[in-house]
Amino acid sequence: MWAQIVDELPRFFGYYNLIFFAKALGVTFALSAVGCIVGFTLGFALAAVRMTTRPATRPLRIAATVFIELFRRIPFLVTLMLVFFVFQALHADLSMFTVALISVCLIATAFIAEIVRSGLESVHQNQWDAALTLNFSYLQTLRMVIVPQAWKIILPPVFGFFVLFIKDTALASQIGVIELAFAGKTMNNKGFSATLVYGTVLALYFMLSYPLARFGQYLERRLAPTRNR
Amino acid sequence: MQFDYTPVLERLPYLVGGAWLSLQIAFLAFALGMLIGLGGASVRAYGPGWARRLVGAYVVFFTNTPQLVQIFFIFFALPDAGIVLSPFQAVLIGMTLNAGAYLTEIQRAGFESVRQPELEAAETLGFSRLQTIRYVILPHIVRVLFPPLSNQYILMTLGTSMAAVFGVEELTGRAYNINSETFRSIEVFSVAALLYIVITLIATVSLAFVGKRFFRARMRWF
Repeated sequence: MWAQIVDELPRFFGYYNLIFFAKALGVTFALSAVGCIVGFTLGFALAAVRMTTRPATRPLRIAATVFIELFRRIPFLVTLMLVFFVFQALHADLSMFTVALISVCLIATAFIAEIVRSGLESVHQNQWDAALTLNFSYLQTLRMVIVPQAWKIILPPVFGFFVLFIKDTALASQIGVIELAFAGKTMNNKGFSATLVYGTVLALYFMLSYPLARFGQYLERRLAPTRNR
Repeated sequence: MQFDYTPVLERLPYLVGGAWLSLQIAFLAFALGMLIGLGGASVRAYGPGWARRLVGAYVVFFTNTPQLVQIFFIFFALPDAGIVLSPFQAVLIGMTLNAGAYLTEIQRAGFESVRQPELEAAETLGFSRLQTIRYVILPHIVRVLFPPLSNQYILMTLGTSMAAVFGVEELTGRAYNINSETFRSIEVFSVAALLYIVITLIATVSLAFVGKRFFRARMRWF
């Protein structure tokens, strides 16, 4: 087995294969990055909607809650399939990458909205009341009172989720997006030994995810002491 | 767009059977992962230096690479070394190893949450070692650990859908089968999604009930 792998090495790390892997890594990175950014933005917005208390925003609150609860309970693979087939039925001619991107944003939004909400809820009710007494509007309360206190609690789990999330994008290979896991499958089909191919793919994912995980741990340590109220 | 749910509803028992298999996979992987996690967390807390580093490396590796690719490796690369596994075995081993890494981390945090003063208080009260474990350490650890563990269990239930990629006929796998039989794609996958929502909702609610009722854990119903 080892002899075969050593034999394949020069061919495996040939110029075109390296470019192929680099592109695949780029696609995985793009999926994760866009999912993280869009998910954080929309997730924050949804959490903010869920925290409103006025009767007028009740339908919005319910809609946000239903969205979050549903998409947190559907496996990513099924979400991918649903998005894929829905757009197909609408005769929207989207590339597989776009389909994967949309599904990625959907689940990231749902999960991050829940994290942000628990962060916002960790701020004591008195702070909301005080802001109300000072005649702050809802958005002013969020911006100047709640978020400055909540972000320390929100950030570490959000980074934890980002790490989970990079790995979930591997499922996009199932609809034919050429990202890392798919690149591994392709190379395996080309006849390279599975040990070599999947070992490389695992290493590449590790390279992508480990720095982020370390940064998350750093943030957690850095922000932890101030959490004690 | 016209929806026709009848072909899917006719095969609903087949899908529900798949959901049952999903639950079994999740439960098995979780139970085995708990054992690994318990061992791993104990080693990380009390083991010798080299064992701690070994467990640390295991955790770091498995939490930083995708479960899907891990199972690919187990399923496609281990035969190179002469170990041939059925898809079900490969998925179960992959999920167990992956779960073991996460559960090690979670349980380690639980171990660390027991504070020294609590142990000293138990000693002052004249508790024996076993009594300390039974009345001080365990209730505390369970209370702290229950919410993240149930959360992990639910994530794992969703994670079982990966087994479909390897041809295991659990919920998603059976949805694939029905899809290729009937081509009622949206209908099939929406029903499958609904089933996932139902089984995870049941799990959340019952776990929250147990946690609140028996372990005074701070949990939400949703």
